[in-house]
Amino acid sequence: MKILTHKQEICTGCRECEVACSQAFFRTDDRLKSSIRINNNFNTFHAIMCTQCGECINMCTAHAIYRDKNGVVRIDRKLCVGCLGCVGFCSELSMFYSDDLLVPFKCVACGICVKACPEDALEILVSQSKGD
Amino acid sequence: MISVNTREQPWREGLNVQSLLDKMGYVFRHIIVRVNGEYVPEEAYAARLIADGDDVQVLHLIAGG
Amino acid sequence: MGKILKQIRYTPAKIERGYSNKSLYINVGDLRIEEKEVTEFMKEKFVGGKGFDLWYLWNAVTPETRWDSPENEIVMSVGPLGGITQYSGTGKTLVCAISPLTGIPIDSNAGGYFGPLLKFAGWDALELQGKAEKDLIIFIDGNEGLISIEEGEEYPEDTHLLAEELTARFAGSEEDKVHVSVVSSGSAAKHVLMGMLNFTFYDPRRKTVRVKQAARGGLGTILRDKHIKALVVKFKGIKPNLNNPADISAINRIGVKYHKEMHDLDEKQNGMRKIGTANTILVMNKYDLLPTRNFQTGGDPEAVKISPEVFITQYLTQGLHDGCWYGCTMSCAKAADHFKLLTGPYAGQCVTVDGPEYECVAGLGSNLGIFDPQAILEQNFYCDTYGIDLISYATTVAFIMECYEREQIGPEHTGGLDLRFGNASASLELMHQMSRGEGFGLLAGLGIRRLKKVFAERFGADPKLLEDIGMENKGLEYSEYLHKESLAQQGGFALTNKGPQHDEAWLIFMDMVNNQIPSFEDKAYALFYYPMFRTWFGLCGLCKLPWNDIVPADNYKTDTPAKVPEHVQNYVDIFNAVTGKKIDKDELIRQSERVYNFQRVFNLRMGSGLRQHDKAPYRSLGPATAEEYLSRQERYDKQLRELQGLDPSAMSLAEKIAATRAWRENQFELLIDAVYKRRGWTNNGVPKPDHLKAIGMDLPMLLEVVEKHL
Repeated sequence: MKILTHKQEICTGCRECEVACSQAFFRTDDRLKSSIRINNNFNTFHAIMCTQCGECINMCTAHAIYRDKNGVVRIDRKLCVGCLGCVGFCSELSMFYSDDLLVPFKCVACGICVKACPEDALEILVSQSKGD
Repeated sequence: MISVNTREQPWREGLNVQSLLDKMGYVFRHIIVRVNGEYVPEEAYAARLIADGDDVQVLHLIAGG
Repeated sequence: MGKILKQIRYTPAKIERGYSNKSLYINVGDLRIEEKEVTEFMKEKFVGGKGFDLWYLWNAVTPETRWDSPENEIVMSVGPLGGITQYSGTGKTLVCAISPLTGIPIDSNAGGYFGPLLKFAGWDALELQGKAEKDLIIFIDGNEGLISIEEGEEYPEDTHLLAEELTARFAGSEEDKVHVSVVSSGSAAKHVLMGMLNFTFYDPRRKTVRVKQAARGGLGTILRDKHIKALVVKFKGIKPNLNNPADISAINRIGVKYHKEMHDLDEKQNGMRKIGTANTILVMNKYDLLPTRNFQTGGDPEAVKISPEVFITQYLTQGLHDGCWYGCTMSCAKAADHFKLLTGPYAGQCVTVDGPEYECVAGLGSNLGIFDPQAILEQNFYCDTYGIDLISYATTVAFIMECYEREQIGPEHTGGLDLRFGNASASLELMHQMSRGEGFGLLAGLGIRRLKKVFAERFGADPKLLEDIGMENKGLEYSEYLHKESLAQQGGFALTNKGPQHDEAWLIFMDMVNNQIPSFEDKAYALFYYPMFRTWFGLCGLCKLPWNDIVPADNYKTDTPAKVPEHVQNYVDIFNAVTGKKIDKDELIRQSERVYNFQRVFNLRMGSGLRQHDKAPYRSLGPATAEEYLSRQERYDKQLRELQGLDPSAMSLAEKIAATRAWRENQFELLIDAVYKRRGWTNNGVPKPDHLKAIGMDLPMLLEVVEKHL
């Protein structure tokens, strides 16, 4: 299973990851369209992104969420009805939505932000387990 | 005497919220308890003593079908 | 596939601010298919849902119309909020017709996908009028723009077979099945007056069709009398903005907030996601409110055998989404999977049983003296597939069982069926008879009002006793709450428009336990506010459960926690966000008042709607029999002392029962006086012209009816 991880102790809060993510998926530089959010907590930067826990899979009201072959939790855009139940239910608060989008979005462990990070604070970990 | 939901009930020394709920058969969990207008949270039921003459409100929020 | 009798193409209307602005009329007699305009007048006065249904129904029938007259209509509509996906409980369809049981309009509310898909297919409402000679299937394809009426004789009648077959046939593939929804009844509906409608949704995880019901009033009986076997709608492409709302941002924000509340609090509160409405069974038992053996008492030690825990641990599949429309995170439509049937034509098969709801456990369980969870689920299944209203069935059979136990009727009348309390196999056999159209089942299917007459006139039963213990009002059977100690709930049941269904008001705890409405005026206010508030759900396409079956964490701090003010504000805000209107909490009530009073006048028009029609059987008001008095003697003796200044020790049991009865019947009359006054009605229950004017409902058609009764 692939999961994006973040090293708080290295992160400088530059937010290049957010720029890279929102550019890659939504062609805009807007942190509200990024699937990784860096939050400043008295100059310690911690990251919010999907941990691929999969809790949203069984609760999805349209049966639109599944694990792909890498164990990454994904939303099937054709099936999603935009109910935002997953956004409300996410214990990690890492399922995001935007009013101009019909489907919520989340980290899919693609690695684009890893490359963009100037401090090597981000890494895609590949674990043995495939998740649920 | 105390009043529980505006009805008179007998009082005894050492009565607390939890023992009052037990006595009244109020087993429903989703309730709001106020003693003399002051809200009593669930964790304080056993500790909160009720004095003679107190006004106790036990609102059951049961929705029904 | 049967021969196609008629087919038309149409251009599906786009939804604007929650409305397609078109309604569909189908006459199954002459196969007319017509499109009607939904007018600004309709939206202003009736909003949608039940409002539209009643408007169309009024215009379709005359005061002489009976339930089986060809001009009687089944009308269904989901309302402007119907079909949004972001909030919980936004897919409810309201269905109206002149009821076989009552002769006045019934309004019945169903989950499932049919109503929203119908709207997205371009139709705010559907009218079904006329009668066919042979069974028909009506199919509406909202993507293709196609309406098709075809022969349907060859299809099975029972819903668990019929709906699966139709879903499979009209879906192009397994993936397509979620786009199809069926309305159907069952084999019993031809033989009973309490036939109901099933509304389906396809469950892609279980790979099975699920059913919700528009249960009350006999709508399934009308469907089958019209020879409609099923309605099928298909629509693909559900998105969160299909209603073209004015402000999707507000809907999204409120939806996410509510979903989070559900995630954080449901488990601590009612556990709806685990068990659904049956979560209250043991609580009701503990508080002496669980109807037992025809509403004689409020509970039984054996109720632990049918507790929520039993169903959760032994029968109900946990952890899967169970909402009956998209976006419902309350997800309370639980199901028992791989349930093996023991009786009837499907004995030996493993099925999915949709339920049990509270009404099922209380009605088919404690109220029949049955404390066997397997028997409850099996009865639930057969009511669903046979198309029988579970509540009317349960309350009717409870009445029959008490008559049997009191030897008012005997085995010579029941064809040998031993209909004592607790006999689950006799109850199941009765259902199978209803399906086959034979035996005592045919009599039972008439419902309590007609049965009282049959028992008294043909079987020599005591009519006074029957009048007291037959739990019906206006011809409809009471739903499953013991309320003889709650004056407010006695009004909540009897002072309804359609008959004693608890969807208008559920005040038992507020009244009896919380003692929040002690005076007549308090009760009258509650019997004004709650029916008006709750009516609103049926105008808009909403389910009432998400309103108060979960409450925000800080609800207890508000002035009126029973109203759940934050959720009321959610509804006001979502209504405005969808429709672009600017209502507030007061206008919300006003919208309901218009439709509520319209329905009351409609009752008048149909020969009902007066004070005498709001009469309640004495068992609703107090202890009708010696056993009931003795079962709660301390309470009743205390009331004689404290309320009437009488000395029970100097009175015989018969005297005490009579004195209690006189007091309670008088209290009920005083309540009616107060409620009618608060509602703006005369002392005979007629909406006053100046009240109709004040709420903006002084329509000539209403004034004409009302004036005859002033």
